[in-house]
Amino acid sequence: MPTPKLRLAIITTHPPGKGSLNEYAYHFVRFLRQKEEVGEVILLPDALPQGQTYYLEPRQGHAPVRVIPCWAFGAKDNALRIRAAVQQTDPDAVLFNIQFATFGNRKVAATLGLTAPYLIKRAGYPTIVLLHNIMETINLRSAGFAGNAFVESVMRFFGTQVTRLLLKADMVAVTIPKYVEILESKYKATNVLLAPHGAFEDTPQPSFELPPGPIKILAFGKFGTYKKVETLIEAFKLLQDDSRPPLELVIAGTDSPNAPGYLESVRRRYADVPNIRYTGYVAEQDVPRIFGEAAVVVFPYTSTTGSSGVLHQAGDYGKAAVLPYIGDLAEVIAEEGYSGEFFEPGNPHSLATAIARVIDDPERRRALGQQNWRASRGLPIAEVVDWYLLHFETLIARRQTGTARRLPAT
Amino acid sequence: MQISMREVKPMSKSDQTIAVVGLSGRFDAHEVPQVRQALMQATNRTKGHVVIDLGGVNFIDSSGLACLVQGMKYCREHGADQILCNLQQPVRIIFELTRLDRAFKIMVSVEEATTALAA
Repeated sequence: MPTPKLRLAIITTHPPGKGSLNEYAYHFVRFLRQKEEVGEVILLPDALPQGQTYYLEPRQGHAPVRVIPCWAFGAKDNALRIRAAVQQTDPDAVLFNIQFATFGNRKVAATLGLTAPYLIKRAGYPTIVLLHNIMETINLRSAGFAGNAFVESVMRFFGTQVTRLLLKADMVAVTIPKYVEILESKYKATNVLLAPHGAFEDTPQPSFELPPGPIKILAFGKFGTYKKVETLIEAFKLLQDDSRPPLELVIAGTDSPNAPGYLESVRRRYADVPNIRYTGYVAEQDVPRIFGEAAVVVFPYTSTTGSSGVLHQAGDYGKAAVLPYIGDLAEVIAEEGYSGEFFEPGNPHSLATAIARVIDDPERRRALGQQNWRASRGLPIAEVVDWYLLHFETLIARRQTGTARRLPAT
Repeated sequence: MQISMREVKPMSKSDQTIAVVGLSGRFDAHEVPQVRQALMQATNRTKGHVVIDLGGVNFIDSSGLACLVQGMKYCREHGADQILCNLQQPVRIIFELTRLDRAFKIMVSVEEATTALAA
């Protein structure tokens, strides 16, 4: 008798939704539905603004995707809504693709949302949480989540409790070895696993040459919390002098959900600086062009909250990177073979110098681009998806050997 | 990386042959194509189970792990099983870090693995 195919639910953001990790989810789902052992993907994303809809094209030989928008960024009852949607669709297993601010930019909403994995596990579904950051490595103040030391200590206390709840899931996957170490040592967790981030695209070797026109400096992401472009614009002002060919600064992306209105305020403040282009939201089909045209990808971060999908994208497209030598980003660089020029966070002169080292030296630019491309080839996300399927199969098999299909949470 | 392959016929009711693939050296992205090919050949040749002896492997990266995952999938698609054995400490640590030690069947020795498969 053929093995029944898996019906998997994924709680995540997803394009055209603009929440963090939407791009990761897009690629994850894209490959998940191509797997032989998957019968249906039940996508449980956040509700879109009026007039927008999720659309995942049916494809021959791919598992169908049922989309049920069931939660809202900032709502306080997300965990209950998610549990209801999971119980209604009754999947074989559930994956959460989340980080600490997935469910809201306010502390209460964000915290309550993060109880969802615990509730789903309690409801008896095998549950894996793919946690893209951990509280212990986030600089809450520079990331814009805490205004002072007292708030920070309160947040860390609640963050610890939320982490304990997240660790009630059957498995918690993280993408950086250091995270495994921290969760195992601080929380005595035995269900944390390392799963590589994975490369988004299975692209052929890109061209390391630049298109004609101005030299483009790219910043890509969701801005306003720990990704701030003021220092980058100040650096860009320093770089624009007569000694160089024309430059263009491309700020591609939107406000972080935690910082609405940020980019508009930047645009007003720096209206007098020429050659800056704000692209707004970049649709999936435009991503290759945006990266392909860039000479260098800059990471204007003051802090990090996890491994960087943008760094992996820069690698996919063979781009040199200019990075702050801080936190997780440094860890990713060291452990995954990426490289770049480094700058002191918040220092425009340091940033301008780092960018100049790339754009003024085509050999260096190409070498960095090639190194990052090789690093991004590490493991395609298509293969990472296999690891998750294997873990799900293990969890499901473990449960099936028990007396009941669904066991109560421990 | 060095790859060896042999076939064993365990004493059992079934007459199924088990392929034992021995790997030694560094198992990273550069070695994946030849290991993948060896694992597929092993499954195709015996139409049966595969034991992978990792006793000589002193390093494995995510590409190597992914190759073993693919090998297991390929085995299963052919109605067979795959067992890993003889993991050295540095390799075992990677399996534990990724929790793939819970997903793979792992045994101490080739003998133990072939006995289990023959049972």
